[in-house]
Amino acid sequence: MNLRWTVTRLLALFRKRNLEQELEGEILAHLEAAEQEALAAGLSPAEARSAAQRQFGGIAQMKEAHRDQRSVQWLENLVRDFRYGIGALARDPAFATICIGLLALGIGANAAMFSLVDAVLLKPLPFPEPERMVRVWESTPMGRNPTTTLTFLDWKRQTGIFEALSVESPVKAATSVGGDPARVSGKLVSTDYFQVFRVKPQLGRSFAPGEDQPGAAPVVILSHAFWQTHFAGDPGILNRELMLDGEPHKIIGILPAGSFDREDAVFWKPLIFTRDQMNRGQHWLAPIGRLRRGVSLEQAQARMTALRANLNDVIYQKDWGFAVDPFARMLVGDTLRRSIYLAFGAVAMVLLIACANVTNLALARGVSRRKEMAVRAALGASRGRLIAQLLTENLVLCLLGAVAGIALADLLLRAASPWVASSLPFTANLGIDLRVLAFTALAVMSVLLLTGLLPSLKTSFGSLTKTLNQSGRTSSGSHAPIRRAIVIGEVAASVLLISGAALLFKSLAKLQEVDPGVRIDHILTMSVDLPLAAYPSPQSAIQFYRTITRKLEAVPGVERAAVSQGLPLTGVQWGEYMRLPGVPEPVLVRLKLIDPGYFGALGIPVLTGRGIGAGDRAGTTPAVVINQELARQLAKTFKMTSPVGQRVMLDVPGYGTVPESPVNTEIIGVVRSERTNGLNTPLELVAYMPLAQAPRQDVNLVVRTRSSPVAAIAAIRAAVHEIDPNLPLADVRTMEQVKQQSTLWMRQPTWVIGAFAALAALLAALGLYGVLAHAVSQQRREIGIRMAIGASSRDVLSHILSSALSMLLVGLSVGLAGTFALTRVLKTLLFHVSALDPAALAAAAVFMILIGLLAAWVPAARAAHVSPMTVLREEG
Amino acid sequence: MAAANLSNIKADVPYGTLDLLILKTLDTLGPLHGYRIARRIEQVAENLLRLNQGSIYPALMRLEQQGWIRTEWGVSETKRKVKVYSLTRAGAKQLGIEVANWERATALVARFLEAKA
Repeated sequence: MNLRWTVTRLLALFRKRNLEQELEGEILAHLEAAEQEALAAGLSPAEARSAAQRQFGGIAQMKEAHRDQRSVQWLENLVRDFRYGIGALARDPAFATICIGLLALGIGANAAMFSLVDAVLLKPLPFPEPERMVRVWESTPMGRNPTTTLTFLDWKRQTGIFEALSVESPVKAATSVGGDPARVSGKLVSTDYFQVFRVKPQLGRSFAPGEDQPGAAPVVILSHAFWQTHFAGDPGILNRELMLDGEPHKIIGILPAGSFDREDAVFWKPLIFTRDQMNRGQHWLAPIGRLRRGVSLEQAQARMTALRANLNDVIYQKDWGFAVDPFARMLVGDTLRRSIYLAFGAVAMVLLIACANVTNLALARGVSRRKEMAVRAALGASRGRLIAQLLTENLVLCLLGAVAGIALADLLLRAASPWVASSLPFTANLGIDLRVLAFTALAVMSVLLLTGLLPSLKTSFGSLTKTLNQSGRTSSGSHAPIRRAIVIGEVAASVLLISGAALLFKSLAKLQEVDPGVRIDHILTMSVDLPLAAYPSPQSAIQFYRTITRKLEAVPGVERAAVSQGLPLTGVQWGEYMRLPGVPEPVLVRLKLIDPGYFGALGIPVLTGRGIGAGDRAGTTPAVVINQELARQLAKTFKMTSPVGQRVMLDVPGYGTVPESPVNTEIIGVVRSERTNGLNTPLELVAYMPLAQAPRQDVNLVVRTRSSPVAAIAAIRAAVHEIDPNLPLADVRTMEQVKQQSTLWMRQPTWVIGAFAALAALLAALGLYGVLAHAVSQQRREIGIRMAIGASSRDVLSHILSSALSMLLVGLSVGLAGTFALTRVLKTLLFHVSALDPAALAAAAVFMILIGLLAAWVPAARAAHVSPMTVLREEG
Repeated sequence: MAAANLSNIKADVPYGTLDLLILKTLDTLGPLHGYRIARRIEQVAENLLRLNQGSIYPALMRLEQQGWIRTEWGVSETKRKVKVYSLTRAGAKQLGIEVANWERATALVARFLEAKA
């Protein structure tokens, strides 16, 4: 069977009508020629014709042989079955619509979920040789830590390990493209940053060596998206100037569209180290690099460990090492990974349930098609042909379901992308691509086998004569046990999902219940960045804090206003060592910088001593307020029971580019602990210092309003504009929104799995309904007889309902057993809830039983209203 | 019926030889249409062969699929548009192989029949 043979045969499929006509012509010509010759030999016209036909032989057999010869029989059969399948489905539109809908739902949800799994976990990063991309850290006993400028420069000199090594420091800058001042995010990077990614600008050039040296002219590279939205994709953008924080930057390049558009950052500029930053004390850099070709991760790690040993004299933290991690792994956290796998498992379960429903429907339909099959078998169709035909019909269903499913997946992804984007790494591109289509094809194939095999085997089975002799009505549900088993399976799978969802929802409720330690209602927050050009000195910044709070408190509807660095629940930027007198061991604390209004605005009570006051300013004794957690820690570890009045040394970050320096401070009070990092994380040890003594450029405004905080936004913007028209406000959020965002990691999987669980329950209920409705319609006669001999409607109702309940209970116990088996999977995502929480599991069980009985009620009620007279008369 | 007149018995086309007969016909006479091929085979066989003339068409299709013959459109004696078949180079080569096979097979059978106990 060579290629030519295959091709001509396949082509013949499409030229079928043509070839048939050609053959017809040949036969005619042949017969004519034979006839002529016979005439010439002296036969009569009638004799000549019959002689010609006799010599030719059976025309129909020859044609059949010809057809067999020229084409692929099974393919022709397939095409015929396909047409037939479409016809059969068109004759039963209700069945077709329901099946296609079920399959579309299952396949669509799976395709969408796979797109997410693929983008986040499977696909290699969208950069060349991504396995060579690494993150480099200092490793502390507590985890990974950023490094210092001088150590970074030592690393950068290791050109035998790294082909490129770049810092990556997020920054915000005020710009005013198109009028209004806006704050945009960017990144300060080394000049070889884009070599790490191996990304070349689409327009212009990358940074040149030396552009990160002091005195270099300021240049900037923009993201494709920013170029499109703010410069309308103007190709003449190069060498134009972009104002960032009041300083003109020459635009030298535009990045290609893609991954970098999904990042917060819209601009990249070289990080120029100042003299003050050249130290080994300030840990602020998180470098990313590209390993030299041929250098494995292990080799890189080994060489970095050797380097660490060489640098031991100059590095302060003797117990810290150097660590090299694959870049890809750092992009996806454990929680995200687990959530995604969990959701994928849940959605696969939904598909299984949808398949079970389709199988059940097909089985029910098979009962009524038995006769059709028997007739075809009687006419000579082999069992294999019948199975092939039924499977092909199923294929039609699956393909239509898949097409609808892909459309649904596209819709889902478009709808969900904005919602999930912030939780996914910037390299993740959600959408329907070839890989998703390939996955869908695979899913369709398994669906085809799952939904097609059983019904086609069952329907094509059975004795011919028996089927043909049976009257339609009495051919009752001989598949009943299989169909009931399928429903039980559906219920079990749903129970598994519902239990998981119930546990997650309970966790979420527990998480939301956690006292954040601050007021959440009626609080509006926003952030500002004071540009160094406009606020060059600490005094100018302190002046700004004072003016802005006074101005904001004058806005009608505003009760309190405060300035702070960082907000509750979003983490504290600074971790510093606090040194107690006479204690050699420092305590690592989180350092928050706040103004006198902060505690009052957020309702954080002062427990002992006093809070930060207006009197704590430059020139007076540096003041520190500690939280209760830190006070407890000091009392426990250092027996310091009355911390107020104690002098402690604290490393305090400087203003602008000034590095941190140790400051001799006095503890002036203790406040109740606020949740600094997230509702699920333990309370941290926090020290507060007045902004007036340690001013910062990047600060937040916290405003407490009398009525809805959202209503005050416009007035607050106007007030800020009055003080500094060039100062853009960013991240304007209510405290409620801040809280919601801090629980996003938990809410997203909870709602996704909750939605899938609800869907699963619905599908299982549908399946139950289908089986009972079918049973009732098949047993009408039996029910009629029972009622005729004295059964009441009530008896019939309870008979059907108890049959439903028995299925539900078996499914429930199987499902709960599965839940017990899978506790380990869920445990890590739960918060303060046991994976076997009885209340949550009981709620799940009750929910499933209720929804199941609801589905059973309709057919049960129908059965109870069977009129014995009518039924028995129907029977004739 | 104990004995039969051998000359009156017509045999079916020996299994697998129809291809050989067609190829040989085209090789000897050059391009022909279907009816002529069938007639030629009958004529050469005189009265020894019982051929359903129609059965050559599936065979022609098979040979064409193998690339051993090719078709062109021509006109028959009855002025009808018909397919005219001719041998391809591959067909000529195949004919050689088939002839050799046939000769080997008949020689083998002949030796068995001649062999004495």
